[in-house]
Amino acid sequence: MVTFSRTMLVGGEFLEETTLRLHGILEDRIYAMEIQLDVRLPDGVITAIQGRMKRYTTPVCPRAVDVLQKAVGMSLREEGWISKMNRDIGRQGCQHFAEILIECGRCLASASLAQAMEEKLKAQPTASLETIARSWVEEHPEVQGSCLARPKGESTHAH
Amino acid sequence: MTLAFQRNKIVEVEPLSNNTLAVSWRLVDSLTEAEIHLQVKIPDLEITVGKARIYRFPHQECPSAPGLIPKIIGVRVGPGLRKIVQDLLGGASGCPELAEGVLECANAVILHFTVPQIQENAKGSAEERRKKYQAMLKFNPRLVRSCVAFADDSPLMQELNL
Repeated sequence: MVTFSRTMLVGGEFLEETTLRLHGILEDRIYAMEIQLDVRLPDGVITAIQGRMKRYTTPVCPRAVDVLQKAVGMSLREEGWISKMNRDIGRQGCQHFAEILIECGRCLASASLAQAMEEKLKAQPTASLETIARSWVEEHPEVQGSCLARPKGESTHAH
Repeated sequence: MTLAFQRNKIVEVEPLSNNTLAVSWRLVDSLTEAEIHLQVKIPDLEITVGKARIYRFPHQECPSAPGLIPKIIGVRVGPGLRKIVQDLLGGASGCPELAEGVLECANAVILHFTVPQIQENAKGSAEERRKKYQAMLKFNPRLVRSCVAFADDSPLMQELNL
């Protein structure tokens, strides 16, 4: 029998080309809460945020909802952003809100890539997903060096 | 407006009969589908089994990422884990998604042990509950100032000198 289970759900919608709205929902055996944030592109700055606690452990926990506003103005692309979220939103507010916020931040690049793939495939239905992804990495130096599939120094060249 | 991207993650902990916890993690999103399976021995929380698979991925290099997971066998869930996992699985030659998956598995193990305490703390009058939380803080001083509920100005911290 499963004694503990956690689900994290993140959705990303582009309100316009330079604004990504992220919805993050956390539900586990102990906690249930959600966050919605608007992120400016390409600098990744949070321009608006709201949150809701649905299930929590102490009567003091809901105080963390107001602490979320400290995230406005923070960038999800600056160096050390995760530590900053853990410190300013987690420690001063709620660690689980911080977990949702960090997961949303991790989806920033993936949302951008997914949108690029969809747009490219609409224009060229037979295009290779791998080629689209490779071009996207070349055009986004901020993700280069982040993992084994995205080496640093991929240069942009005509396809 | 429709979503351009969607991500689902689920992690589950199941006690097995041999003083072991089985932890299963799964990621399904618009670009990637992957899973991690760990076994963690009680009581020292050593990772004794570590496997991963990837079914859908955005880059041709991604299928080599699951091969990194066995590196965490022998590592214990506890303080310092984040740095160990990042060093073994993350960075420019690793896979941050799977590294994070392992950390989420470890977090789920800790929360598995936390459930009975939370259930107990929820019983009784408001004052009884407050005293239970204060006893929990005295036993786990690392929780002090870890969130708003355990901040210096919280009613749960009144008359505690931690």
